Amino acid sequence: MMNRETVSRIVAARGTGRENLMMVLRDLETLSGNNQLSPETLEHVAEEMNLPASAISGFVGFYTMFSTRPRARYVLRVCKSGPCHVMGSGTIFGALEKYLGIRPGQATADGLFFLEKCECLGVCSVAPAMMVNYDLHGNLTEAKIKDLIAAYRAKTPTAAEQSGPEVEGRACVIRSEGQTKRLLETVGRVDPSSIDSFLQHKGYAAVRKALAEYTPEQVLQIVKDSGLRGRGGAGFPAGLKWSFIPKGDMPKYVICNADEGEPGTFKDRILMEENPHLVLEGMLLCGYAIGAATGYIYVRGEFRRAIDRLQGAIAQARAKGLLGQGIAGSAFHFDIFVKEGGGAYVCGEESSLINSMEGLRGYPRFRPPFPAGSGFRNSPTTVNNVETFASTPLIVLNGADWYKSVGTAKCPGTKLFCLSGRLNRTGLAELPMGTTLREVIETHGGGMKDGGKFKFAQVGGSAGGILAADLLDLPLDIDQTLQAGVTLGSGAVLVCGEETCPVDFLLNILSFFDHESCGQCTPCRVGSAQLHHLARKLAGRKAAPGDIDRMVEKALLMKKASLCAMGQSPILPVTTMVRNFRQEFERHGHPDHNCPACDRTLQRLYRAE
Amino acid sequence: MPKDAIGPIVQGQGISLTIDGQAVMGNKGQTILEAALAHDIDIPYLCYNPRISKTGACRICLVRVNETMFKTACTEPIAPDMRVVTEDPELTEIRKGILEMLLAEGDHNCLYCDANGACELQNLVMRYDAAMPSGDFPRRHRTIDEASSKGLKRNEDRCVLCGRCVKACAEVQLNNVWQFTGRGGNTHLTSDLDAKIGDSTCVNCGTCAQLCPTGAITLQPVLGRGANWDLKKESSICIYCGVGCKIDFFKNKGGQLVRALGHPDGPNQGHLCVKGRFGFDFIQKPARLSKPLIRENGAFKEATWDEALDFVAARLKEIKAQHGPDAVAALTSAKCTNEDNYLMQKFMRAMVGTNNVDHCARL
Ligand SMILES: Cc1cc2nc3c(=O)[nH]c(=O)nc-3n(C[C@H](O)[C@H](O)[C@H](O)COP(=O)(O)O)c2cc1C
Ligand code: SF4
Repeated sequence: MMNRETVSRIVAARGTGRENLMMVLRDLETLSGNNQLSPETLEHVAEEMNLPASAISGFVGFYTMFSTRPRARYVLRVCKSGPCHVMGSGTIFGALEKYLGIRPGQATADGLFFLEKCECLGVCSVAPAMMVNYDLHGNLTEAKIKDLIAAYRAKTPTAAEQSGPEVEGRACVIRSEGQTKRLLETVGRVDPSSIDSFLQHKGYAAVRKALAEYTPEQVLQIVKDSGLRGRGGAGFPAGLKWSFIPKGDMPKYVICNADEGEPGTFKDRILMEENPHLVLEGMLLCGYAIGAATGYIYVRGEFRRAIDRLQGAIAQARAKGLLGQGIAGSAFHFDIFVKEGGGAYVCGEESSLINSMEGLRGYPRFRPPFPAGSGFRNSPTTVNNVETFASTPLIVLNGADWYKSVGTAKCPGTKLFCLSGRLNRTGLAELPMGTTLREVIETHGGGMKDGGKFKFAQVGGSAGGILAADLLDLPLDIDQTLQAGVTLGSGAVLVCGEETCPVDFLLNILSFFDHESCGQCTPCRVGSAQLHHLARKLAGRKAAPGDIDRMVEKALLMKKASLCAMGQSPILPVTTMVRNFRQEFERHGHPDHNCPACDRTLQRLYRAE
Repeated sequence: MPKDAIGPIVQGQGISLTIDGQAVMGNKGQTILEAALAHDIDIPYLCYNPRISKTGACRICLVRVNETMFKTACTEPIAPDMRVVTEDPELTEIRKGILEMLLAEGDHNCLYCDANGACELQNLVMRYDAAMPSGDFPRRHRTIDEASSKGLKRNEDRCVLCGRCVKACAEVQLNNVWQFTGRGGNTHLTSDLDAKIGDSTCVNCGTCAQLCPTGAITLQPVLGRGANWDLKKESSICIYCGVGCKIDFFKNKGGQLVRALGHPDGPNQGHLCVKGRFGFDFIQKPARLSKPLIRENGAFKEATWDEALDFVAARLKEIKAQHGPDAVAALTSAKCTNEDNYLMQKFMRAMVGTNNVDHCARL
């Protein structure tokens, strides 16, 4: 239990404003020794921060990384999202049960380990993966689990990085011929913990050039001319978005969306871990272009290494006069701060992210007003993805024409593709927009694992569509995927072989949406739960006639009526999956159909419920 | 909603649009729903309430804008030449679908629900012919706490998560007792830190219950109970303090007072405090004096009004003649109207001739 003085000290260190609630709670949970925020602790927090008790309760209840019940010294969070599922996360739950005798939601008797299932941890190229407190471990096998458990038994928790070497950013970049490396050009060569190293690789040259040679309007124009489109999923033109920010002296904010929760996506993490200054530089350019003086990076709380490296980079940039007052001797002021998430996929949605930054439940906001008019602290705000920001220094330095020299006419530039699933090579590849799925799989993914047969790929994350063999030659860019009834989304490519059961896979996706819906609006809150229920019935071969079509109807209602894009997401995986694999779905409608994959999932993940 | 809450069209700021083909004028900054309500155009909703900020979460008020877009009427600002359609087959189907989701999510058996007959969800279910959907979806089980509080009954199995209570408490009463916690389908209410409502910092103003569209939060009965359709409404002014809140009292068939709701047109704009909301039990308590009593030899004896008044008048005159006017004082009640109290002090000053007047304005 936490005494009042401890709470008071932490609140004083982090600040009493509501915006600091996430960090106050994170510190207190870490200090608790059993990863718990007890009701007494929360009462103290409410008093020390002068917040209603209900606000604290509502906040803690929203973010899944927090728990008001005692857990254990180490919380084991095993990823159950698509890529890990396909790569056998089920066996990890089995192994942990074998060695520790606990199932999800249980603690070992010695108070050392508590097991949870969680959604994507953003290390999908080394699936299956788990997180032990804040340490990430990938490529898990039963043997490795055994060793890890022994190692954690022997040590005492520290705040230092103890993640496995396999999840280090540079280790997750694919080494294949024929990539067009722009964003990744210096990965492995730049020392991410040294600004000098970054400066030796043209670091901050774009900012210096912009401040010396260009007006803000000119920077904006270059970004517009480059045709750069947002890399967070929706593909909105970045320059156009920036131009919506009103002119004038009011406070304005640049927010970098580093929530990266889309299952199968890990590009932003690698950029932040390996090239944190490039992200900062992109934000600086945006701040200059729109006349903002403050930037925030909202990083999901699981990305401890990325957070540490960004913090280090920010401190170094400040020391070098590249952040703060009068940047590089100019009249331009800009500073950047890091904010952390608490385990909520929906907080990647820009307005939900802003609420989360303000210390609120991560409910998306209705629009209008749009963030450009009224965002963070009700001031004009632009929210862009990490990859979007990281692209802008290259554009400003090399020009719009250089940028457009690769990619497709309407989607210029390169795209980071996150390869995961049943491939010989998984990891990050930088390829021109419009690269086909076949090339991604064969050239960069090294073909199907163990000579298996390609069945389908989900491109764009859980909200993405299913591409079967007929779309292997579809050029993957923002518009052409949409025209084909799928999406490029975040650039996640999760490849599945013949052994993958489409019903089991869809159940996995729909359990994700059920878990991650914010619960604010009716269609998504109830619809996600009902979709999950129908898929579970189908997987258990207990579906009623018409359930398959009922799923499509529910998803369609959600698409038409939901408040934010989250509720509009399930329709794509549901319809594309059903369209491609209707027969297999119908077979699951028969009680005597045999499906070991569905059996395993139901047995491992639904048994205790 | 009272039409004057929307206000007259501000000169030079009028926006003309069409709603269901009807030309309509609205003000800049108004939403489609506000413009529609001002023109008696009926758009259904659940989370909207004029007394709280916009929510946009129930999605029932979805309308078609400029043929191709669906927008929530409660959040979408009107724009020049906008074309709004409030009902068509697709909208009807969406609304019905949303209602059926709500029905499946909770325990909406009207038979044993306090809100039966006065339920906004029920009205919409009737209007859209919604029914329990097939698919045997498991329903949510949330908190039922009908006894811990003297003012409120909470049955969250009837909650539609519209959020009106959360905002009523935060924005009207400024007390922040309610909040949502949990997430997704597991979203539910918390009062303070998961306290029972009776143990929470709730001050029993009852605003959440008044705004609740269903029977999720209801008022504890004060004197009686009764089916909503049997209740008769009479408006009055609160007897307790100088604000003079306007109250709608509801009486059951037996004449018992059942509940008090804040009337939107009074100075209270629909709000009440705990006294106005619940402090009317004395009216029909058997202990209340309804006939004059005169004390004779230490015991009370029932009298007629004439007897009582004659007796008082005679004694007042006697005391004044014997000891002077300042030997008399009057203490009146804050439960009397302003007019009654005015008359009382006038009587004391002009007729009796003393300034010895006071009144128990500290109820
Ligand atoms: C449910 C949901 C989750 C999202 N998650 C992310 C995310 O993790 N990272 C991200 O950059 N954008 C995410 N987005 C998209 C953002 O709302 C926003 O469009 C994006 O950050 C804008 O950046 P861009 O224009 O540079 O792409 C998400 C959207 C939704 C609806
Ligand atoms: S669509 Fe889903 S995530 Fe978005 S506001 Fe509605 S409930 Fe929340």
